[in-house]
Amino acid sequence: MLLSKYATKSPWLFRINTGSCNGCDVELATTALIPRFDVERLGCKYTGSPKHADIVLITGPVTARSENYLKRMLVEIPEPRVIVAIGICAISGGVFKDSYSIRGPVDKYVDVDVNVSGCPVRPQSILDGVAKAIEIWKEKIEQFHEG
Amino acid sequence: MAGFFKQAIRNFVLGPTTDPYPFGETFLPETYRGILTYDSDLCIGCSTCEHVCPTNAIKVEEKEDGSGISFAFWMNTCTFCGNCVFFCPTKAITQAPNFHTARPQDEKYELTANGEVNLVKCAECDKMIPPFNEILLERAYGEVTDEIRMKAALCPDCRRRLHFERLYL
Repeated sequence: MLLSKYATKSPWLFRINTGSCNGCDVELATTALIPRFDVERLGCKYTGSPKHADIVLITGPVTARSENYLKRMLVEIPEPRVIVAIGICAISGGVFKDSYSIRGPVDKYVDVDVNVSGCPVRPQSILDGVAKAIEIWKEKIEQFHEG
Repeated sequence: MAGFFKQAIRNFVLGPTTDPYPFGETFLPETYRGILTYDSDLCIGCSTCEHVCPTNAIKVEEKEDGSGISFAFWMNTCTFCGNCVFFCPTKAITQAPNFHTARPQDEKYELTANGEVNLVKCAECDKMIPPFNEILLERAYGEVTDEIRMKAALCPDCRRRLHFERLYL
């Protein structure tokens, strides 16, 4: 498939904040995007719509308030998709673990593919994680078109 | 206008500012606090690190047969705050300048630092005690004599009995 061949070269990134402290979001939206680190060199592009998303970057420990929004958002993201958990809150709950208002971590709700830990995550680690996610996404899209 | 030309000439000389990281080398600050490394030879098993850790990333457990204490540091819930490094009395925990924390999901629980402190027998009785550490003795007494070393190898009960006998018998 010609389309899948070119699609693997330009995955679209989508961010979901599930009640994080905004540290990881700052690293994702500004630090990893500025010319200094430039996540777009890997062929990625941020999108504003979950329906266009290929690689989903989830931050935050899933608070009780954001739980329902996360569930509704995940329904809208089409397969094949790659889920990347950014920051220790998304991976394990971090400092907010076992708190009364925390429903996370993220892998209770969706099959996470890549974990990138840090508090907040270093921009180079985000690039590492996105590069890993692109590899996984290539495999997934091949499987999707074969079967 | 002068500022613009200054900047333009500077950019022309210095070249692109993009860090070549995924394809090349990157930079690290000298005091970068990266993932933890643990040296069980220096550790005395006091579990201060477990007490000061804000995220419960450190798990200290006594082994079932009582022969040692096992330490596990899970990096996927560690904030790299450096509390354990600061409070460790023997500097058994250090932070390596390493930021490679991106792992696939099936390795989620493998990004750890592990180690065990083997307990030693008390010189007089059969009680198991943590091994004493020269660095700590030096900090406490300045000059370490053989008498101090002999007493440090005793369990607290035996040491108390020794002092009592010396004073009152």
